[in-house]
Amino acid sequence: MKSQDILSEINHQSGMTVPDGFFDEFNKRMAENLPVQEWEKEQPVIMPRTFWQKVRPYVYMAAMFMGIWCMMKSFDMMRGDSPLPIEKNDQLVSAINNDAFFNDYFVPAVSETDIYDELYDEGFDPSMLDTTEID
Amino acid sequence: MPSTNDQNFNDSKLIERLRDKKTCREAFGDVLKIYSEPLYWQIRRMVENHDDTNDILQNTFMKAWSSIEQFRGDAKLSTWLYKIAINESITFLNNKRKRNNISIDDESSMLINSIEADTYIDGDELKLQLRKAIAMLPEKQRLVFNMRYYDEMKYEQMSEILGTSVGALKASYHLAVKKIEQYFDNLD
Repeated sequence: MKSQDILSEINHQSGMTVPDGFFDEFNKRMAENLPVQEWEKEQPVIMPRTFWQKVRPYVYMAAMFMGIWCMMKSFDMMRGDSPLPIEKNDQLVSAINNDAFFNDYFVPAVSETDIYDELYDEGFDPSMLDTTEID
Repeated sequence: MPSTNDQNFNDSKLIERLRDKKTCREAFGDVLKIYSEPLYWQIRRMVENHDDTNDILQNTFMKAWSSIEQFRGDAKLSTWLYKIAINESITFLNNKRKRNNISIDDESSMLINSIEADTYIDGDELKLQLRKAIAMLPEKQRLVFNMRYYDEMKYEQMSEILGTSVGALKASYHLAVKKIEQYFDNLD
């Protein structure tokens, strides 16, 4: 046979074979083993922020300032020279208006002489006293 | 080898699906179905061994899958895949030659050994002799002859894959045919 005819006779066939079902099995195996692409990985779901989540930092900040203000006010009231007036303290006012309390705790601390001196200084006249009332 | 207008149309639809991240994996499954067989034969004719071909084909598709984002669709899908397959085959042959301490001039004997050891053949002696004759050719001529003779690929597509002018490819094929004829003449 002429060598030129050999290529025609072989007719583009290589004579190579593959195991039965090789390509189906290869395609299946290959498709199963393809690694996961970056874009195929699950992305974390970002939930929309609620109204409370939005205002929460400001509420917390306001609460913190309120707390600091209350704390400073408490320290201020505990001070000896507190500017808080006595007449606004109901407990103190009722104690002063109570004669028994006043006599027991306040009067004994003042001497009788000082009281008379003060009365005379203010123009007190003992003759003006209604003695009958005393008796 | 898919090369008709229908195939080009299908290719462009396939490329569209490959570029869409939602359909990419499914589309790549279709790429496997369409191209695994032609690429297998291309690689097998270069390395002359079924098991090695299986490994190289896997590497080819793995590389294609990992760089699918870089494939812009400017070139044909088949051209891109053939380029990867041929590069993988050449790298494999170079590594095998280095491993076995074989010079580039003795690559033919390495390939002939592989042909003789190949068990997946139809037993036709003439076809076996042609494979041996092709193995005697230089690497580029071997590639050109395989693509033209077995795959009946157009010179234009071969030019895109191999980056060689059509004229040079025609000359290379003509030279390869002459050498093969000479090989058979010497057998007689």
